[in-house]
Amino acid sequence: MKTCDITLFVNKENYSMTIPVNRTLLQVLRDDLGLMGTKYGCGTGECGSCTVLMDDKPILACLTLAALASREKIITIEGLEEDGILHPVQEAFIEKNAVQCGFCTPGMIMKSTALLAKNSTPTEAEIKGYLEGNICRCTGYVKIIDAVQYASKQMNR
Amino acid sequence: MASIIGKRIPKIDAKAKVTGRAVYAGDLKFPGMLYGKIVRCMEYAHARVLNLDTSEAQKFPGVVKVLSPEDVTQKKYSNWVIDLFYPKGFAELVGDVEDQSIFTKYVRHQGDAICGIIAKTEEIAEAAARLIKVEYEALPVYHTAAQARKEDAVQIDPGKPGNLAFQLPEQVFPGNTYGWGDAEALMKEADLVVEDTFYVPKVKQCQMENHTYISLYDDEGRMNCWTSTQMPKPVQTKISNLFEIPMSKVKINQTTIGGAFGVKLGMIMEPEACAMAMSVPGKHVMVSALREEDWVMSESRHPGEYSIKVGLKKDGTPVACTANFLTNGGGYYSHASGAPAVAGTWIIGMYKFQACNFKCQRYYTNQMNCGAYRGYGNPQSNFVLEQIIDRGLKKLDIDPVDWRKKWHKTTGDDGWMLGVPYSSCALDACLDQGAEAFGWVKKKEAYKTQTGTKRRGIGVAVMNHTSGAFPFLHEHSTCTVKLNEDASAEIITSASDLGTGAHTALQQIAAETLGFDMDKVHMKVGDSDAAGYDIGAHASRTIYVSGTAVLKACNDALDQILEKAAISLETDKEALEIIDLKVCVKTDPDTFISVEQICYEGVNAFIDGATGQRIGVPGQIQGYSSHYAEHNSPPFGACFVEVEVDTQTGEVKVIEVVSSHDIGKAIHPPSVEGQLEGGVQQGLGMALTEETYYNEQGLCVNGNFTDYQMFGPSDMPVCKSILVEEPDPIGPYGAKSCGESGLVAPTGAAGNAIYDAVGIQFTGAPITPEKILKAIKEFGLDSDAILPFGYGCKDGGIPNLK
Repeated sequence: MKTCDITLFVNKENYSMTIPVNRTLLQVLRDDLGLMGTKYGCGTGECGSCTVLMDDKPILACLTLAALASREKIITIEGLEEDGILHPVQEAFIEKNAVQCGFCTPGMIMKSTALLAKNSTPTEAEIKGYLEGNICRCTGYVKIIDAVQYASKQMNR
Repeated sequence: MASIIGKRIPKIDAKAKVTGRAVYAGDLKFPGMLYGKIVRCMEYAHARVLNLDTSEAQKFPGVVKVLSPEDVTQKKYSNWVIDLFYPKGFAELVGDVEDQSIFTKYVRHQGDAICGIIAKTEEIAEAAARLIKVEYEALPVYHTAAQARKEDAVQIDPGKPGNLAFQLPEQVFPGNTYGWGDAEALMKEADLVVEDTFYVPKVKQCQMENHTYISLYDDEGRMNCWTSTQMPKPVQTKISNLFEIPMSKVKINQTTIGGAFGVKLGMIMEPEACAMAMSVPGKHVMVSALREEDWVMSESRHPGEYSIKVGLKKDGTPVACTANFLTNGGGYYSHASGAPAVAGTWIIGMYKFQACNFKCQRYYTNQMNCGAYRGYGNPQSNFVLEQIIDRGLKKLDIDPVDWRKKWHKTTGDDGWMLGVPYSSCALDACLDQGAEAFGWVKKKEAYKTQTGTKRRGIGVAVMNHTSGAFPFLHEHSTCTVKLNEDASAEIITSASDLGTGAHTALQQIAAETLGFDMDKVHMKVGDSDAAGYDIGAHASRTIYVSGTAVLKACNDALDQILEKAAISLETDKEALEIIDLKVCVKTDPDTFISVEQICYEGVNAFIDGATGQRIGVPGQIQGYSSHYAEHNSPPFGACFVEVEVDTQTGEVKVIEVVSSHDIGKAIHPPSVEGQLEGGVQQGLGMALTEETYYNEQGLCVNGNFTDYQMFGPSDMPVCKSILVEEPDPIGPYGAKSCGESGLVAPTGAAGNAIYDAVGIQFTGAPITPEKILKAIKEFGLDSDAILPFGYGCKDGGIPNLK
């Protein structure tokens, strides 16, 4: 397999590495950088468990070649917390009991964070629409939607 | 101290999960870890392996070992664990067989494991897997029981003539029937008899975590397993049995469970992972399944033909009910003597019929094997029973809520397990509060006459479930409560938390009972070496059974505190009481010793040099309980569903769902709500959108999250959860179960809402827009047409053929 040199800018840190060209961002994050918060749920872009932010937009790490993410700003679930303070969306997921098995949670939180960054007061329908593509099998989405609404309120205070 | 029971506190595992720090099996890395890949048969559903050529894969750089069927134990096993809990002789009586091989030469359904590859990386293992050459001889594929029981059908298991895996055994159930009275004979006393044959679908659990298992056969000859199984202790026994090593040489490390819903009730890939690890002693081997493999190799809910007949008097009095579940069981025996029979118990447990008889037959077929999925037969029965009841009530012009209130079984009546009467029942309150919150009466009036192309409909269904499987299985949980010298505690248990919040609730029970703050109590879980027996998470048992074990172990610890305090205070134990972490003399509360001092001195009791006397009472306190449940305190529930059907497209929009649940006492209310809300998503899916489809060759055609249609965020209705708290006399702090219940009644209620909206009852799930549109066009709205079995499917006899 051909290799390429990349520099990934993940959670405010630079990582230079040589990787096979077909390596996905998800593989690099999990296996090379040890960032295990980003989850593999389907590998085919259908469940959203691997959602991370690239240049502030949510992307599916399982379908993104790491080479194409070179030099882009990548934020994973591990990068949301700042100086030990959780992001308001993380706080909201705890407060509203929006977490069950937790496997979809990192992707769900990254997606919700992206939504609130571009629309700080989304309607319920907008939240639901935006979260399409992130599958949760535990919660029926009820408390997740609650949490996003709560985070929106907290962030606008 | 304020009670912690019923408090809406954050879950104990929530922070680890929102930060991505919770460790699932796939997140583990060990030095020198190897990667296993199971080569599966993905191109046939029923075939013999004529030749297996592993030579090219063996030579592939980075491959450590290739394991063929001959290279592993030849012992057969059954991946379910419930057979372990049957009384001696019962397994033989019901005809249980162990029919699974680690790697097989006879493919019974798509996804069967053919051989295994161990390699230095996952990529190498996958590349080598593509070099395995298998030559197959295709065999006829049986999708349904009707096909499998034909005289000329290939016999799938040598011990099971006619491919009949299970029916209720004549010796215990005369006429192969469970229930009471002669329902068929009583039917003639009914004024109205309604009957039909329903199709219940082959739905999938769809847990988000892909199956990943790690095993290490270590230098002490111990098999260490990292698994997200729901049943760590039974899996320990199963692995011990399969590999013929003592239980003391099997260690289960239960990892964070990324959803299960029953799919992890037995072993999944533990046998393959352990077989691989055994071949490379001292090395960890990680084995994962791709999502497309999960879809065909793990188990589904039992689908099939569900016939039901109900007789009612003119005034609605229930007379008799007969039901027969003919289920297409899949390639292996697993759960054959469990789920199909248990399905009937939920019908037995619901209404006051004068006679009620249930039969079931499970046949070997060549679709993915069937096993445990949240509700264990109850959703199927609910979809069938609750709809046929509404068909009858419509003819008799009786309100569905009123009828259910009048005729459901209640406290003291014979339960789902005949001979075990209901200990409590708050279904009346569930129906009243649910109907009020839903606006049943108003909506019923408003939707009586509708014009236009969109039709609203409302439906109700009720259900009974269980808290543990007593007396069908032994419901045994142990717990050790270790008090540290600073008066904090470890709760050591093998009880599982599938993400439901169970560990949070168990910690609340411990904190409440001990009188400690929550942060002074720690759950020590997931370590089979540390904890005693616990049957595991099944049958909605964890709070009810494991919770009682926790409560009893804490009470045992308190008792030991009192004993030590009595010595220190030179009085009798009975003269003491514990108030705010102080053991006080009842008659003189100012004379006391603190719990902390007792705990400290228990560990650090020493001899005073000056007096030669021992200071304190020596002995670290460890409370213990080995608790066998002697009841199953069934919870009841009611569900109300409102739908809007577009009569021009057949599209269904679910507008609102109210779930009211007889919880007894909610230990952690947000977790109970979470179970109900998640149950709505899965229950509506089963009724309206979800089904695994197969082609004629028996290959799954929608094994992915795009083609298998679950309710997404925008599909979800407004959900209201009502927790009705009438404490059960047996459950810990009055609690009953909620783990599976939420999924059950939405299936029947959704069916009834569609029936109400279009005036045609759909007997086949999922009730898709295609079926609705076809029926409206063919028969007309409000025609009350009787649809033939498999209506609207490609092949009526095989409803999940695409």
